[in-house]
Amino acid sequence: MYIHAGIVLGVIVLVFALARFLKLSTELAMLGAALAGLIVHGLVVPSRELVGAFAWFEVPRHIVDGAFTYFDVVLIFLTATLFMNLLKDAGGVAYIVRGIVRRFHRHRALALLFLTVVMLIPGALTGSGTVTVLVVGALVGTVLTYMGVSEVRVTAIVFMCAAMSAAAPPINLWAMMAAAGSNMPYVGFFLPLGVLSVLGALFSMFYLGWRGTPIDLEQIMTELPKPPRGMRWWKVVVPFVVLFGLIAAGRVWPWAMPVLGLPLMFMIAAAIVVLTNLGQLKLIKVISDTVEQLLPLVGVMVVVGILVQVMALSGARGLISLSIVTMPLVAIFATLFIILPVSEGLIQYAVAPLIGVPLILLFNMKGFNPIIALAGMAAMWPVGDMLPPTSVVGRATVMILGFKGRYYSGFAKTCLVPAAFVLLLGSLFVVFSSRLGFLVGG
Amino acid sequence: MAVMVLYYVITALFTVILVRNFIKTRDVQKGILYLAVLMPFVLRLFRLK
Amino acid sequence: MRLNKEWTIKGIAMAVTGTILVLAGIAFAQHRNFKEEVVLGPGVTTVRTLGDYFAPLKGGPNDANVFILDSGEPGGTMLVLGASHPEEPATSLTAHLLVENATVEQGKLIVVIHSNPSASTVTRPGDAYPRFFHIETDWGIKKFRMGDRWANPLDSWPDPETYVHFPSGQLLAYMDVRNLNRTWPGRSNGSLAEQTCYAFMRLIEAEGVDIVIDLHEAELEYPIIGTIVAHQKALRIAAMASMTLTAEEFRIGMEISPLALHGLSHREIGDHSNAPALLAETPQPFLDRVRGITDESLLLTGKDEFVMKAGEFGLLYWPIDESGWPIDARVGRHCSTVLKIAEFWTLFNRSKPLVVTSVPRYADVVANGTGYFFQDPATASASKVVYE
Repeated sequence: MYIHAGIVLGVIVLVFALARFLKLSTELAMLGAALAGLIVHGLVVPSRELVGAFAWFEVPRHIVDGAFTYFDVVLIFLTATLFMNLLKDAGGVAYIVRGIVRRFHRHRALALLFLTVVMLIPGALTGSGTVTVLVVGALVGTVLTYMGVSEVRVTAIVFMCAAMSAAAPPINLWAMMAAAGSNMPYVGFFLPLGVLSVLGALFSMFYLGWRGTPIDLEQIMTELPKPPRGMRWWKVVVPFVVLFGLIAAGRVWPWAMPVLGLPLMFMIAAAIVVLTNLGQLKLIKVISDTVEQLLPLVGVMVVVGILVQVMALSGARGLISLSIVTMPLVAIFATLFIILPVSEGLIQYAVAPLIGVPLILLFNMKGFNPIIALAGMAAMWPVGDMLPPTSVVGRATVMILGFKGRYYSGFAKTCLVPAAFVLLLGSLFVVFSSRLGFLVGG
Repeated sequence: MAVMVLYYVITALFTVILVRNFIKTRDVQKGILYLAVLMPFVLRLFRLK
Repeated sequence: MRLNKEWTIKGIAMAVTGTILVLAGIAFAQHRNFKEEVVLGPGVTTVRTLGDYFAPLKGGPNDANVFILDSGEPGGTMLVLGASHPEEPATSLTAHLLVENATVEQGKLIVVIHSNPSASTVTRPGDAYPRFFHIETDWGIKKFRMGDRWANPLDSWPDPETYVHFPSGQLLAYMDVRNLNRTWPGRSNGSLAEQTCYAFMRLIEAEGVDIVIDLHEAELEYPIIGTIVAHQKALRIAAMASMTLTAEEFRIGMEISPLALHGLSHREIGDHSNAPALLAETPQPFLDRVRGITDESLLLTGKDEFVMKAGEFGLLYWPIDESGWPIDARVGRHCSTVLKIAEFWTLFNRSKPLVVTSVPRYADVVANGTGYFFQDPATASASKVVYE
């Protein structure tokens, strides 16, 4: 079994490297690696008790089953971005940016604080850092740019705050999925997750955004794109009010409201933008551009799903999981800051059941507070969303802000200090979880 | 139930756009990726998965 | 020329994708539409469906068959739920075996083979589950659907962005709105799984159910394993069953249903009806995250090197060795557990006896294999064959 899983894993890595060398895109290289892994698994899998040889008829089914893994997330990405792109096309984003700059241009600290809150809300409510980037990333990025923050720092701030928004309560998908997998109720996470995500976001925002130039209101107002003539404040506010109203209503009256789901909520908000700007939007073009803009992102989600399926099928996934949980506890603690982000970069949310659950059960067995420990880990995972091969939130950030610099030596390097801060804080939460039990109140 | 129907409408909308973009793109790598992304959309629309 | 080359590659890619879609589509349709054949045993007196207790489910994906084995003699009524999670196949096999074999001499036994049928028609994306599994019988191979933990999105779409449990208000992961063991006691206008639980609660009322057993399987990395989890109203029965089973047949523990954990059968059924609920768990290495090759072999033999290695490192809550946890041992455990709970129910409720016979115990199932106890649908009269 070790040899078999090792061979499949080796083939996956090798084909991926080869495909990249041959100038294939990350997504296609990963697709090729997954398909090669699947075929090699079928070729070399030993005859299995009761079942015998590998059933080749299952191959297409495994590919499509894998492609479905993150289908819901893909729909959220598409609809959220469509909504924001429609608003941008209508001139609404420019309108909001002008408003924020006018209101906060004298108070830098207050402006940074406000932007942090704006960044935290979408991810806190939806559990997705990508949604944060897609919904408010461009807006916050523009304001920060006019506050004299360099392009690379703006990109790093938007990413780090988006990552922290995904970690922020009430919805932290990693914690929820790992809790569900280990049969813990998702209760008591609010305070520990809140402390971690707010500290992480504030540190990132102030560490990277404090230095800048004072705002010259006159100059900025002439430079900023002017919203179209028909733009009114209510045209910007109403879609957001409806969007957050629908999310909040689902929470306040969970049993009276029909379940709409995030994609439909974004589509309703998008429809309002269309209706309030009738005749001014190039609808088909915006949808088409949105899909094209998101192709690398949704493509990687689909491809990673296939890869995860192949790894589960062949035992490669089990081998990775086993290697992690059989490490000595001290080694786990010492390497959590690498393991968690790297695994997140590799397979996204699937890390929560895959690595999170065994680790939480292990910590629980050794007498650690599972809620605090899981909260710590659940704040560390999103940092990995800038890491390859998926780099989902990192790439979304770069894409939405139109960052032209280098990804690793520029953007990722700038994230290092705040990322290290979050990873250290998270690790401390895990290691000292039993002493932080008092946070489990909310 | 009505909400579920709307989800099929949303899926159909993005399926059409994905197909349109696939036809229009000149980049072969993008084209292949469009096809990969289309897979779950098509099978969901046909209510097969 | 360039355009030609571009369209050649695109054309080939389209053909490949099309082929994958057609073949995968066929595979999914085969799985979703496959019907398991159940031969009604001598004890079955009526077959109803959940829709008889809650009309909106009638004819829908979760209009599960409800097999009633009524002795005609007054006594207690027990409800056994199989496949609350269809990815735990020893549970539906046990329920299936009860329907084909059990006779009831006093009281009434109600059995549901697929409690969340929708979830049995879908494989889990990203987890490489097999579509089917096969059990060898004296008359040939009997085929079953392997399902998921959550209802099929084709029947229950979309999920909320977070699932708020009714009536506790506890927040749970969004997909658990499709998880039958997180949606008790259910809601008449809720999700498919919530409505299904609601229908079961109406069944419990209408049939005067006295005690419920919810059958499950668990990964060895999970602390609640090889055990009976009991609502506080059923502690005596669970304790006695666990003690005597451990003394006589196999080791099995006992746990008290946590008060704070909502949506689970052993908590909510007992809290919202007169019937206390017990949940029985068997070990299923197939569900472990550290498992190796994921296929039907692992599902049926329960043998896995990686899981064994995790055991050597003290990471498991249940032992495993080279012999694994074969399906027969798991089905046998559930059979004996159900029988033992019925025995102690009767002992503690003399006025409402429940006497179930002709069901194999653990040693019988292990010795003869699960398939030995299934009847051949081909030789049974058509009126005796029901489709699941």
